[in-house]
Formats: sequence, structure tokens, C-alpha cells
Amino acid sequence: MARVQQPIGFDVGAVAEVEESVERPLRGELARLPWTSFVIIVVLVLVAILAPIVAPYSPTEQSLPDKLLPPAWQEGGSAKHLLGTDPLGRDVLSRLVYGARVSLTVAACALLAGGGIGLAVGILAGYVGGRLDGFLMRVVDATLTFPTILIALLLTVSLGAGLRTIVIAITLIIWARFARVVRGEVLGVKARDFIALARVHGCSHARIMAVHILPNVTNTFMVLLTLHIGFVVIVEASLSFLGAGIPPPTPSWGQMVADGRSHIASAWWLSVVPGAAIMLVVLAFNLFGDWLRDWLDPRLRQL
Amino acid sequence: MQRYVVRRLLQSVLVLVVLALVVFALARVTGNPADLLVPEDATPEDRANFLRVLGLDRPMHEQLVVFLRGALHGDLGQSIRYRKPAVELFFERLPNTLTLVPLALVGALVLAIPLGVLAAVHRGTIIDRASSALAVLGIATPSFWLGIVLIYVFSIKLGWLPSARMGGPAHYVLPTISLGAFLVAGMMRLVRSSVLEVLDSEFVKLARIKGLSQTVVIWKHCLRNALIPVVTLFGVFFALLVTGAIVTETVFAWPGVGRLTYEAVIFRDYPLLQAIILLKAVIVLGVNLGVDILYAYLDPRVRYA
Amino acid sequence: MRTPVHVLSVVSASLLLLVAVAVHATAADKDTLVIALDTLGAQVMDPIMDTRAPHAHYHAPVWDSLVGFDFDKGGIGPGAAERWERAADGKSWTFHLRKGQRFHNGDPVTAHDVKFSLERIMSPESISSGAAALRRAVDRIEVIDDLTVRIHTKGVIPHFAASLSRAVFMEGTVMPKKYIETVGTKGFREHPIGSGPWKFVRSVPGDRIEYEAVDYPHWRGTPQFKRMTLLLVPEQSTRLAMVRTGEASIASIGPDAIKEARAGGMKVVTVPGTMQAIYQFWGLYRPEAKGSPLTDVRVREALSLAIDRQQIVDHVMVGEARWPLPFTVYRYSIDVSIPRWEDWAKTALRYDPARAKKLLAEAGYPNGFRMTFWNTALPGTPFMVQIGEAVAGFWEKIGVKVDMKTVEWGVFDPMGRGEQKGLVGTATMFRTAGRPEPSPRYVTSLTSKGVQHLLGDPNNCPTICQEADKAYEAVVSERDDAKRLAATNKMIELVTNTWVVVPIIEGMGYWAVNPARVGQFKPIPGRHEFGDVAERMPRPEQKPWK
Repeated sequence: MARVQQPIGFDVGAVAEVEESVERPLRGELARLPWTSFVIIVVLVLVAILAPIVAPYSPTEQSLPDKLLPPAWQEGGSAKHLLGTDPLGRDVLSRLVYGARVSLTVAACALLAGGGIGLAVGILAGYVGGRLDGFLMRVVDATLTFPTILIALLLTVSLGAGLRTIVIAITLIIWARFARVVRGEVLGVKARDFIALARVHGCSHARIMAVHILPNVTNTFMVLLTLHIGFVVIVEASLSFLGAGIPPPTPSWGQMVADGRSHIASAWWLSVVPGAAIMLVVLAFNLFGDWLRDWLDPRLRQL
Repeated sequence: MQRYVVRRLLQSVLVLVVLALVVFALARVTGNPADLLVPEDATPEDRANFLRVLGLDRPMHEQLVVFLRGALHGDLGQSIRYRKPAVELFFERLPNTLTLVPLALVGALVLAIPLGVLAAVHRGTIIDRASSALAVLGIATPSFWLGIVLIYVFSIKLGWLPSARMGGPAHYVLPTISLGAFLVAGMMRLVRSSVLEVLDSEFVKLARIKGLSQTVVIWKHCLRNALIPVVTLFGVFFALLVTGAIVTETVFAWPGVGRLTYEAVIFRDYPLLQAIILLKAVIVLGVNLGVDILYAYLDPRVRYA
Repeated sequence: MRTPVHVLSVVSASLLLLVAVAVHATAADKDTLVIALDTLGAQVMDPIMDTRAPHAHYHAPVWDSLVGFDFDKGGIGPGAAERWERAADGKSWTFHLRKGQRFHNGDPVTAHDVKFSLERIMSPESISSGAAALRRAVDRIEVIDDLTVRIHTKGVIPHFAASLSRAVFMEGTVMPKKYIETVGTKGFREHPIGSGPWKFVRSVPGDRIEYEAVDYPHWRGTPQFKRMTLLLVPEQSTRLAMVRTGEASIASIGPDAIKEARAGGMKVVTVPGTMQAIYQFWGLYRPEAKGSPLTDVRVREALSLAIDRQQIVDHVMVGEARWPLPFTVYRYSIDVSIPRWEDWAKTALRYDPARAKKLLAEAGYPNGFRMTFWNTALPGTPFMVQIGEAVAGFWEKIGVKVDMKTVEWGVFDPMGRGEQKGLVGTATMFRTAGRPEPSPRYVTSLTSKGVQHLLGDPNNCPTICQEADKAYEAVVSERDDAKRLAATNKMIELVTNTWVVVPIIEGMGYWAVNPARVGQFKPIPGRHEFGDVAERMPRPEQKPWK
């Protein structure tokens, strides 16, 4: 059935009917691995983990007389603050480094939680079918009628802003998107002979879902994960803009862009530096995701 | 067919009822409108009076009954902040958003089609990756920031375009770009994959064998077919944009429903929030339902699925 | 599938055309004063339906207030009533209206309108902020003649007249009795009239309100522009852009945009004394707070000495803020010895980290301690969060570990009511809005029956709390001006010595002005909003900017 997908961001397109995934030789694909993206991702993760070592200063240490210093290469900049300082005299580079930590934590938590729930619901709905499927898919429908930002805003004003709130909010919206795509795939897998065969051999439903269905949708799941990272970072940024992001003084990239927006003409680095970081990361993860998709399952290229 | 439609309709109504209850509860969890509307040095009596005048001092179940009874009659209550019927406020603002959204959709498509075709034709090459990267830039840029930069460049520096608010045609350019940018990547992927699919099909191979040039094959035979999924998705894209324009409307001071939603949340304007979410849900569910029924009509197998 | 492609090409072509045609669409209209605002409040054109700040933006142009402003110094001055006097027994006030005032439909403004308006504001359906206070204060209203009205108060209220000034609340608004009785509430809200210098034209929800200048001389000033439009533009960068392009003449901004505005050739108008940024400690008297370092007054004084207020003024506020006076005292305050408190502020609020550390050591915390600091911004002053961040930074520097929690105002405000659970034993950011008399704010924050009761509540009122209650009673029951001055000073002294509510800086209202659209003008000190200023704004050629 050509159920229409909710098209925010990446998971656009009618669900591809999955057939036998085409195993490709790893070596050939490795040659096409987007090395730049890969390096960016690895460096980013390392920086986030090693933030206290990498960052030259504490991200919250203020020095008001040193406020709004431009980056080192610009006139008036100093080598002490490579990427300049913000209106409270905090080091932008250090905030960027610690911000990577926060932004990646948000993305990782939200994607694992939301993705996990979506995966489970998708498999259940697709495999069991019938009334349960109908019910779960209506819940998905209802969830998707809520714009992401609205859910996040509602949660923020009730729970208070914070990392936890943002993770919950993004989880709440993402699970439905995952569930839809996964369900579609499961429908395809379910129709195949080996499932019927497993039934005949007396496998329990639970076992079939875990052993036969799950591995067949893992590829899609992985691809969805990589492709949604950018989405999460951007949602976090938009929330900061609406005053519902990660609260200060903890730095996050989205919040840095949002706070820097009133200084676009006089202190461009405040929003351009974290903005560029966001772009780079989203781009890297997307190219990487594209590669992963092509490698794992070329039929999924619509995702 | 009739049974399918009836079933789907009933399901949608059920979704709406559940949503209404959730929204009712959710809105009240968010806080108290008195905190935002009564000044910080107001006395407890001022607050009490405020809540009494608005009927918010009544027990929760009474409020729920009032809400549900009203909703059955199409009355979703009075906005606390604006002292006007919430439904009226929503429909007052809806046209403003509705003028912006189609433009953003079309604008995104204008970019997405050439990029998608280009990527598909040069599949796997650097061109494929580059056009994909270009499209991804749209989602990699926070739209509020894009909007502010656009205003800075085109209004302040170049003086070509007005910076904000509704007005003549020129007023639509910047909000359109800022709202449409994040759609380009999704649409481009869609175009790319459907072009790929069509390129694989028999009749394109046939056309090639007939000796038609690559350009003609792509633009005449491929694109038309490749656009089908894009066009069918329009309805959904549309509904989502209507609900998702909060950020763009804030940056460009656009008095649409997105902005209204934001204010309803921030000021804990329960009746207005309830009305907005329900009415938006009706729109989105309506579009989904329409699409599904259309499919069922076209493809009988779906009815029994 | 012919249609979609066809339609698409047409639409895309027209889109390109749009870009081409769009050449500076909004040509500046010289006769219209355009003010871009961050809020239009509820945008309900009825004085009984909105609270203070938005009211002063968009109601003030249409309606006059019984008591007005001192345009030069701030504080109260003549309004629709040119003078007033208090009866010898202090229990009634007589207001004498200006002659020749009229509503926009030509009806004269009379004492009957004043009586009607006050009663309407006190009516149950009114949600205006001071309605409850007015209900408590007013016994009855008596019309003496067409231009004289007498208000009998319940007991002696020394500053009753001030509460009828827009400098404080909007309870003094004069509405047209005959008109409202004729067209009804609904008719009045749809097409409101008043006696102000601007006539209401139209209100587009969520977008703008348009006005037209009256065509006769007005006592508040005769508008130099034919029309005025208030725009709702929520995003600050956009407001600033609109002023720079001339789409707006004036825009409200925050201190973080001052540099950007000046760099773009705009003028920045600052309104002194609109607010005081403060921090305060909650529930230190309660048993739950026992043992907290913050209960030691030396620690609290140390925290104040750790703050370099000049740096906050210079850097966070870009030089556009002032050294504060004691809690909720402004340079235009009444019943206060300003010079005395200016001297006090210079020394007591100084930056002295060495002494701060010494005090901490004396109190037994040489290595600092941990504390929770709630950072929040009240509506209209988002820059409070940055001040809060800076304050926390200074505290960290004397070794205090600050656990800063930044929350939205709507989340914070309920915590301060009732049990105050999350707040007991913590510090928070707060502010006071500029108003001429300090005592009402002391009730709200400090007396045992007040909303915040920082020193003690009715069930648990330690000595300092009892003293504060007494000091406040002494102020409000005093009929003699000189004695009241002394009592107020005493009350302030008592509170400053507790270091429980501590001023950080005196903030201002900030506006970016396009000098090609509007001439140089003077705001009213303490009045952030321009609803009472717009009629005195000259055209650029009449008074060019220096």
C-alpha cells in the first residue's frame, strides 16, 4: 500500500518495498567511502569526548573586558582566543567544543530513544497487522499532526527548558517517523517465503520478530539514524531561537547561533562559527548516511 | 469502498477525540495564564479576579465539560489573551499562512527538480554527491538564521527587498526562501529516486533505442512520471508547512497561524491552543484521509489491506 | 501529467519575476510614524482588558489618564485633571478637569465620564492590573460639577492620586460614558474612542494597530505626523532591520542591539529608570533553609561586594544603564532622600572582592560554598538573563560554586507563589519596574502578608520581619509629608541592611530610531513605552538629530 510518508527533512518518499538486500563487496564500497565525512565525524566525536582537554578555557569562564573579540586572524583578534569571544567575554572556541558535547548528546539520546521505540512499534504493527496495526498507525498519524517545534515548546513551558526536555520532545516526534518507515519495510519482509517457512517450523511470533524480521530492517534503521542527526541539531537550534532551547550557561551549537543572531553585522563570528559547525556536521552525516544506504541497500535510496 | 471510507472516517474522528483530551490536559500542564498576563507585583486578589473572570478557577472536570460541549457545537471557546472566539482567531490568521506556504513549496520544487534530475542522471558521480550536498545545505541551515542573513543582505545591504511583514509581492520573496529551503533536500531525494526508477523502466529503454536524445528522454518521458510521487505528496507537504511555519513567521513578523500558535503556548492561552491544535489536526488528517481514499479508489487492493 | 509541469513552470517564472520586480517596495511615507514593537499585548482595544506595559504602548495614544506625567523628571504630573487636592481629613480627593477636552466623537469630557471610567475599571469583568487595589481603596465617587469629581477613599491613602497616573498603572484612564452606553462593550471594542491625541483607525490582530492624529491642539501635544502605526515585530534583528531600511521609524531593542544599531547609523534613545535588575534570596527564615550559608548576613553582603557593577553597566549594558539606588528606589521616587541613597549606593554597592573573601572567611566559608541561582527574565526585559549570567560569573570568582538554573518566566513565576517550594534557600534574578512610590513594591516583596514575603510569613515572622511590617505601616499611615519621608527612609534602611534583596543595575528602555524618519525627541524618564510620547515627536526636519 502506498501510504504517504510525512515529509519533514529526510524520511521522504513512499516506502520502498524491500526485497532481498543486495550484498555488495565491502572492499569496493570502502573505496567510495566519503572519507571527508568520515574524518569529520570521527574528529567531532573525539572532540566531544575529550572536550576538557581540547578546549583552551572553561566554556563558562567570563571576562567582561575581553568581550566581543574577533577571531585571531581578524584585526583586533588575539591568539588567546582563536575564534574570538562572545558578549560576556567567553571563549567561542571553548564553547564550540563543549557545545559539540551537548549537541551530540542530545542527538544520540533522542535518536536512540525515539529510534528504538519507533523500531519496536514499527515491527509490531507491521508484523501483527490487523487491528493493532490500524490502531498504532492512527497513533502515528496523530503524533505527526503535531509540529515538532510545538511539542517541544509545550514540553519546555511545562517541564522547563533543558537537555532532558529537548530529548523527550525529539523522541516524541521521531518515534512516529521511524515507526512508519520500519512498518512499511516489515510488511515487505513479512510477505516473503522464509517467514512463512519459519512459522511452519514452529517458531514463535516473538522469535520471528526478533530473529527474522529485526535483522532485515536494521539497515533501514541505521540509515534513518544517520539521516536524522542533522534534523535533531536543527530542531535544537530552532528551539533556542524560540527561547526554549538548552538554557545558559551550558553552551550548545543551536543556542550559540540563536544568541549570535543579534550581532550579525557587528560580530559575525558569534553565529557564523557555530552555524558553520552545524552545516559541516549535518553535511558529513548525510553524505555518510547516503553511502551507508547505498552500501547496505541500494533500494532504499529514497530515504 | 463505502465501508472503507466509513471506517477511515470513524478512525479519524476517534483520533480527534483522543487528541482533544490530550490537548486539554497538556495545555493545563503548561502553566497558568495568570503568570504571564498579570504583572509581577499584582496582589493575590488581582490574580484571583483574573482567574475568576476567565472561568479558570472552576474545577478541572467542569472546564472539560464546557470545552467538550462547546467543541461539539464548533465553539472552541474564547482566547484568554485576545478575548475573542478562538476559532475566529484561527481562521483570521490562516489565510496569511496559506498565501505563503504554496510559494515556499513551489520555490523548493523549482530548485529540487533540476537538482534531482541532475543527480539521478549522473548517479554515483561527484555531480550526484554535490547536488545532494547542495540540497542538504537547506536543512543544515537553521531557518531563523537564514532568514536573518537574508534580511541583512537583501534589505539592509542591497536595499532590494522589504525586510518583513505582509505586503506586496516583494514581501513574499525572503520568507518564501527561508521557509522553503529545508524542503529542497527532501524533494530532491524524491525526484532523484523516481527519475532513477523511470530511467530503469522499459519504455525509457525503448525511447533510447528509438534514438531519442538523452535530454528529450529525460525531460519528456522521465520527468512527467517522476513527478507523480512529488505531486501526490504536495498535500502532505502543505499541511505540514501550515503547521510548521512558526520560526519563519516569527522572523518575518508574519501574522500567520504559526505565530499565533507560539503565542498561545507562551501565554498559556488554553482555549486558543486547544483550538489551534484541533483545527490543524483536522486539516492534516483531512489531507491524509483524502490521499488514502484516493489511493483506495485507484487501487482496490488497499481497501482490504 | 501535463498540468503539474505546466503549472510549475508558470509559477516558477512568476517567482523569478517577483524577485526582479521587487525594488524597494515600501517607499517611506513621511506622514506616518511607524513604531515596531516586541509586543502588542492582547491587542484588545479596551482599557479594562490589558495589563500595564502593552497598555502603555497601544492604549495610551487613544485615551488620557486622570493623572499624567512629569515629562521632565518622570513621576506624576497633571493629566486630564490639571490639579487635585486631598481633603484635610485625608479621606477624599478632589480632581479638577482641564477645560475644553473632548472625545473623538466631539462629546466633552466631564466628571461623569471620570466617575463612569473608574467604576468600569473596578467592575468585576475588569482584569486591569490595579483593579483590585482600586476596589480596596475607593469608597464612593461623587460628581461635584461637570469639571470636578471627588473620590472618597476607605481610610487615608497618602498617594492615592499617584495610582491614577499612567506612570504607575492605567486605572486613571478616562473613557466616554455616553458612547459606551450607546454602542455597548462590543461596539466600543470594535471602534473605540477616547480623548487622547490619536484616533483609533484599525487593528489587525497579530500585525498592527493604526491611528490618525486629531486635527485640533491637544494638551498632551499636537501630533506632528498625520498617522501612526504600531507594528508587532517579535524578532529583534528584524525590528532593527526595519528601522535601518526606513520601514519603521522607531523600534524597541535590547542593550545587546545598541552597538549594532549605532553601527548602522541609527540613533539610540534610552529611557532612564524604567527598571531595576535585582537578585533576591527566598525563604531564608524558614526551617528548611537552616544551616544554609546564605542565612548569614555576612555571606549575603560578600556576594554583593563580589559583583563589579561597573563592568556589568559597561559591558553587558553597553554603557546604557545606571548605578542603582536601593531596592525599587529611582531618581524620580517620591518620599525618598535621593542624595542620601546615592551616597549609600556608591560605597555599599562597591566592587571589593578582597573584602568579600574576608567576609566569607569570617562566616566560616573561606573556600566558598555551593548555591542555587535561578536565572530568569521578566517579560519585556530579556537581557536580565545576561545580567544573571554575569552575576554568577562574579560569584564564581570569589570561590562560590553557582548552580545556575535558567528558566522561562512562565515556569519561574508560579514557583514564587504559595509554598515557594523550589525557591527556599536559593537566590533568583528579579526586577522592579519603574514607579514613583517605593512602598507598594515593599509590600509585594518584603512584608509578611506580601506575595513574596522574603523576610517572613504570617505564621513565621522573625524579628526582622516584624520590624519590616512595622516600618511599612509607619509609611502608609503617615499623613505628614516630612514624617513620611523619614519613615520611608527608615524602611529602606532596614531592608538594605538585610542584603536579602539587592539591586544590580538600574536599567533603561532602549529604542533604535531612524534619524531620517523622526526628529530628536525626549522620552519620559521611567516610562519605557512611547504611548505618551509619540504626540511630541517632531518630524526630522523640525528638529534634526545632533
